[in-house]
Amino acid sequence: MKNLTVALSGINAVDNPGPGTGVARSLRESPEFGGKLVGLAYDAMEPGLYMDWLFDRRYIMPYPSSDADVLIERLLHVKRNSGLDCVIPNLDVELPLYLSAQEALKSHGIQTFLPTRDQFRLRSKEFVGGIAEKIGIEVPETAVVTSEPQLREAAVRLGFPVMVKGPFYKAYKAYSLGEAVSHFHKLAAEWGYPIIVQKMVTGTELNLVGVGDGEGGDLGLVAIKKMWITELGKIWTGVTIKHEGMLQAARNFLAETKWRGAFELECMLGHDGLIYMIEINPRFPAWTYFATGVGINLPLNLVRAAMGQDVPNVPDYEAGKLFVRYTYEIVTDSAPLQELVAQGER
Amino acid sequence: MNRLNQLAVNQDGFAFDPMTGESFTLNPTAAAVVKQFSSGASTKEAAEHLTQVFEVSAEEALRDVEDLVSRLKNFNLM
Repeated sequence: MKNLTVALSGINAVDNPGPGTGVARSLRESPEFGGKLVGLAYDAMEPGLYMDWLFDRRYIMPYPSSDADVLIERLLHVKRNSGLDCVIPNLDVELPLYLSAQEALKSHGIQTFLPTRDQFRLRSKEFVGGIAEKIGIEVPETAVVTSEPQLREAAVRLGFPVMVKGPFYKAYKAYSLGEAVSHFHKLAAEWGYPIIVQKMVTGTELNLVGVGDGEGGDLGLVAIKKMWITELGKIWTGVTIKHEGMLQAARNFLAETKWRGAFELECMLGHDGLIYMIEINPRFPAWTYFATGVGINLPLNLVRAAMGQDVPNVPDYEAGKLFVRYTYEIVTDSAPLQELVAQGER
Repeated sequence: MNRLNQLAVNQDGFAFDPMTGESFTLNPTAAAVVKQFSSGASTKEAAEHLTQVFEVSAEEALRDVEDLVSRLKNFNLM
């Protein structure tokens, strides 16, 4: 893998962190990788652009609302200038575009390891209930709404507090109808429709990161409990766990969907002892480096699979390993910013 | 579901549940009782053990064990 160049996005290591820097660090620290890393950003201020110990080259990308052709052209530019063998998109919003572009990218020698369009659609928040049922876990009572009257009806029926979620990002707890309506409009303005309204389940939040091999198996699974979270619900401290029900649910999910690529399961262990599906994210979570730190290098395995290489047997990991996030600052002169703004790359 | 058997308890009384990631702090009495339960002792046997290890009457030991059992049940550990 020494001659490979891998590009990855989501290097916005901010208060709502993207997964990219953790994915990059997993590859950079792996003695088996040793290749070049390219950081892809949407804004010249994304902190990953300044982490020179992680990336060999950095590029500003066209927004994911543009056409697939624009993305392909930009990635071909990256390939011409830096070489490019594999790309790992790490943000929900850019995945539909990459799904459209993946065949064309492959024809240019740029590999991906992504779910199919059907798999991607199945795990969307509107359909997650169906998947939960098939893999043998519960799902909180859910309503998918596209108008304020529908929201009002659903919120009252489900009872307060209720979760109000956007189609891609963000979820808010609403304690009253007024709050639910306010969250509905805010989410719709930011992320569009539909909006998902879900009954609150209390208990212990469990999360799992994994990579599906596309044939019903896995290239590694690691389950954790978030011990301390930010106001946005992002993990700050966590611990690895071995919850057999959760791990089995993940295996069932892979067997049922033949998922290809990275994914994250977000579940709640209810006080009734049942596991409730909250969300399935079709990409690495921002805490992916936690898995790497306990010996399961999922980004490395994903790159191996994308490049058609054999993935060695995945080792086991220990429960009780701790993850502690912290803040860090970089002080640099303004040349890198100037270069990124003027040239779109550095 | 009895999660008590899988609790990892260290010498300081820090107990970690590897299944859920939850952790608990046990005082020496609770740690001794949990150890007894994990090796299959009944409430009565655990109380008897307490009278041998601590200076406590059989009646008080039984009350303490029963109190702990109700707390463990509250945490779904028993």
